[in-house]
Amino acid sequence: MHIPDGFIPISQCLIYYVILIVALYFSVKWAKSNLDEKHIPLLAVLAAGIFAIMSMNMPIPFGTSGHMVGGALVAIVFLAPEAAVLVFTVVLLIQALIFGDGGITALGANVLNMAIVGGCVGLYTFKALNGTIGKYPAAGVAAWLATVIAALACAIEMGIAGTFPMNIGIPSMVLYHFFIGIIEAVLTVIVLVALDKFRPDLLAWNEGDA
Amino acid sequence: MADITQLMRFDDLASKDSPIHNLEGRIKLISTIFIILVCVISKEIFIPIILEIMLLIILKIANLSYLDSARRLLMLLPFGGAVIIFQPFIQPGNIIWSYSWLHITDVGLNWAILLLVRMIVCLTAIIIYSSTTPLQEMASSFRKLKMPRDLAMILSIMVRFLFLFVDELAAIRKSQKARNFSIHSKTTPYKWRVKQVGYTIGMMFLKAYEQGERVHKSMVSRGFSDASEMFDEKKSPEKSDYIYLLTIIIVVIILEIILFKYSGQLGYFGQNLAIN
Repeated sequence: MHIPDGFIPISQCLIYYVILIVALYFSVKWAKSNLDEKHIPLLAVLAAGIFAIMSMNMPIPFGTSGHMVGGALVAIVFLAPEAAVLVFTVVLLIQALIFGDGGITALGANVLNMAIVGGCVGLYTFKALNGTIGKYPAAGVAAWLATVIAALACAIEMGIAGTFPMNIGIPSMVLYHFFIGIIEAVLTVIVLVALDKFRPDLLAWNEGDA
Repeated sequence: MADITQLMRFDDLASKDSPIHNLEGRIKLISTIFIILVCVISKEIFIPIILEIMLLIILKIANLSYLDSARRLLMLLPFGGAVIIFQPFIQPGNIIWSYSWLHITDVGLNWAILLLVRMIVCLTAIIIYSSTTPLQEMASSFRKLKMPRDLAMILSIMVRFLFLFVDELAAIRKSQKARNFSIHSKTTPYKWRVKQVGYTIGMMFLKAYEQGERVHKSMVSRGFSDASEMFDEKKSPEKSDYIYLLTIIIVVIILEIILFKYSGQLGYFGQNLAIN
């Protein structure tokens, strides 16, 4: 899902950068008002952890492997997509500069897909389903949908760029991530169950109980 | 995604000594982004190819191994390569080869070549940058280039802890390997394998969060507050830094002039291959 440099025209990259700057403005504002003064070290170390998590292979049937994205997970833990934006901006920036994984010019588009779209779809799906099907099934569906919609956004951007026609890009990206999303959903639920068991205070949904 | 356990090796490589390693961090960052930008804008392969030759010379000056750099490049190519490989078959244009329902168009092939050349040049620039610049210097360059304070601080603290998690990840992989754990092993149930990966990710997440809290407490006990600023060593770019950046800019300007005046004589190299 990491779009490399050269695949999106510079004019479109600029639009995605404007979206990134606006998202970052609101995210920093959110962090200042919601996470006290400890937000910077906390988010920074969490970003380092997410960086490591994103590089872990997750088992996918048919002998292939993929990587967890985690946009929905971060958004659900903090109950805020802004946290995903802050964490993923630095993670994707370092991934692009050290590993060439995702482009520098495509950073805006990549943050848009994985953090803004992934985080928002994940969080709001979770909020919408939480009351009806329970928090863990809701988190699972949210993580799955976030992965599929983020892949859809990526396919649409590549289509607009003219790099990959939407009539082929959308079905193939959505179909592939339909299955990847199931693993992402299972892993997201396992992580949330573990956090709820060992450190329930870290989950924003428990804040009312504290 | 690339193997992050290689991070230590990249940072070791970046701490070596060469005229490129010794350049000021901001100059290296700006020149890398400039080369990438020029490449992304290029609709002909002429400028990217000359830039690649220039980057290969820089690679030599930086005392970096061509073989190692080529290996890194080959490992990174598959990500975009998957998109590139389909281009000759999916883009409309004049059919230059066909077999049954499969056909290759001239427009698609040209576009695939342009994308591949762009990608190789951009990745070479990134390989040189990451092999000559330690992570801390990268973070410091962003701070000096006026990245928003909170984001710059997150980036600076993140790169400090990255190595800790890389170590952690390497230890986890080692212990899993020692126990014959494999995500593709057929001897264990699939559900169990997914569960184990989930627990590992959960543990990493918890460790990251708890480490974050400990770091915050130790920083506060040493006087950290919202108003704290990161320390930056005062190092101004020297004459050699400006010469390096100016050389790259002048080369690009000359190439643009050549392309503008002699595109007809450059043949395929001067031809517009872009579809957007």
